[in-house]
Amino acid sequence: MWFRLIPAAMSSPPATAWIWGRAILWLGVYLALVLAPLFVLLAESAPGGGGFWYDLSLALGFAGAAMMAVQFVLTARFKRMTAPYGIDIVYYFHRYLAVVGVLIVLAHPIILVVADPVYLTYLDPTEAAWHMTAGVVSVVLLLLLVAVSLLRRRLGLHYDEWRATHAVLAILAVGLAFAHIDGVGYYVSSGWKRGLWMLIAASWIGIIVYVRLAKPLLLLRHPYRVVAVTAERGDAWTLVVEPEGHAGMRFTPGQFAWLVLRSSPFAMREHPFSISSAPRTSGGVEFTIKELGDFTSTIGTVQPGEICYLDGPYGSFGIAGSHAAELVFIAGGIGIAPMASILRFLAEQGDRRPLTLIHACGSWSRVPMRDEMTCLAERLALRVVWVVEDAPPDWRGEVGRVDQALLDRHLPSDRTAVEVLVCGPMPMIDSVEHALYRLGVPMGNSHSELFDLV
Amino acid sequence: MRRWLARILAVATGIAIIALAVLFAWLQNS
Repeated sequence: MWFRLIPAAMSSPPATAWIWGRAILWLGVYLALVLAPLFVLLAESAPGGGGFWYDLSLALGFAGAAMMAVQFVLTARFKRMTAPYGIDIVYYFHRYLAVVGVLIVLAHPIILVVADPVYLTYLDPTEAAWHMTAGVVSVVLLLLLVAVSLLRRRLGLHYDEWRATHAVLAILAVGLAFAHIDGVGYYVSSGWKRGLWMLIAASWIGIIVYVRLAKPLLLLRHPYRVVAVTAERGDAWTLVVEPEGHAGMRFTPGQFAWLVLRSSPFAMREHPFSISSAPRTSGGVEFTIKELGDFTSTIGTVQPGEICYLDGPYGSFGIAGSHAAELVFIAGGIGIAPMASILRFLAEQGDRRPLTLIHACGSWSRVPMRDEMTCLAERLALRVVWVVEDAPPDWRGEVGRVDQALLDRHLPSDRTAVEVLVCGPMPMIDSVEHALYRLGVPMGNSHSELFDLV
Repeated sequence: MRRWLARILAVATGIAIIALAVLFAWLQNS
């Protein structure tokens, strides 16, 4: 399913002091948010008397609940927050942190039960107080939430169905955790400690309102109209959209946007795709999308005049801020889409740097945008290397996959002066990045972006 | 490589939280 999520696959421009500064700042803000309940516990004398394990369990419970609440912030797509890392890293952080957070949350009841088995009685909803049952159900829902996300494909769960399930389970789990904390009232019953938890709960509700209501409403007020749908080789389609009554999207080449098509922005049926056009004064954008799934297989049936909505732009993949003497683009299949955006932009800018594009596909007849790349090669100092697995009889180009030997043949001799952008399926990105490193391309000079999240 | 960055950040965050929780419990009972 990488096609749906990875066309956005991209990477980050060269790290600068500014980017690092912002990255550290936002990480600090995150830690402050998650650790705030613990700092509060430390700052004031607490009831005490429960013993070390009881207090450890309690602290882990508070921190786990705060982590789960802040998980909502990570996927709210705040551009300033995600920009220093690239939104892909933030989504992956959200994913790994969910596992860490659930382990911390689980430790809360396990430590209590091990320290004193009498706490097992709280598992019985007929005996336990409502807020204890709320805590138990919250933990069960969190486990379910993580399991469903990690096993989505094995469970055969459709992406849209998973998203809706994920949102409902997450809201219920965190809501019940807050009810549990409030109901127990230990450490939070007095004055400003209660105020802090009220503030955390209110902020969490605020994020939900922003993501589920305010943002969709904003998208609804900034519609786009489909002006063309054209077929590309390899079961791909180029969708051209123009803004309806607003300025449209200002993006940098290589970025992506979430597309809402034939659905309401409130319905959570959106899919990320790389923009394949260069920035336009009209604010319009083009997406080149391969037919590979339930949603993408309907792109060819879209008619000019249909309304759609875009949430974006996002992503830090591209050449913004790059001063490399030479650029190399490596694309797998529909991973050519963001490369097309960058190359079209460079052509418009009259860029004369030596450029190499290595584009790998299954067969020559199914290479998307190959005519466009041929045209761009005439306008730029661009050398295009097509790599096909299933070569025609008269084929004299590269055959197979993009491996270290192939890269060694086509990379410029000065590997330290080149910047490489990679976009394609996850296994390809992994193997190409390793090969580039072994061939002497500094790690900071090779860029990719992850979007195969669930 | 970018996935490793996210993994490292997540694990480091978890360790920081657990360390602070242990510190809290120890201070409460010392």
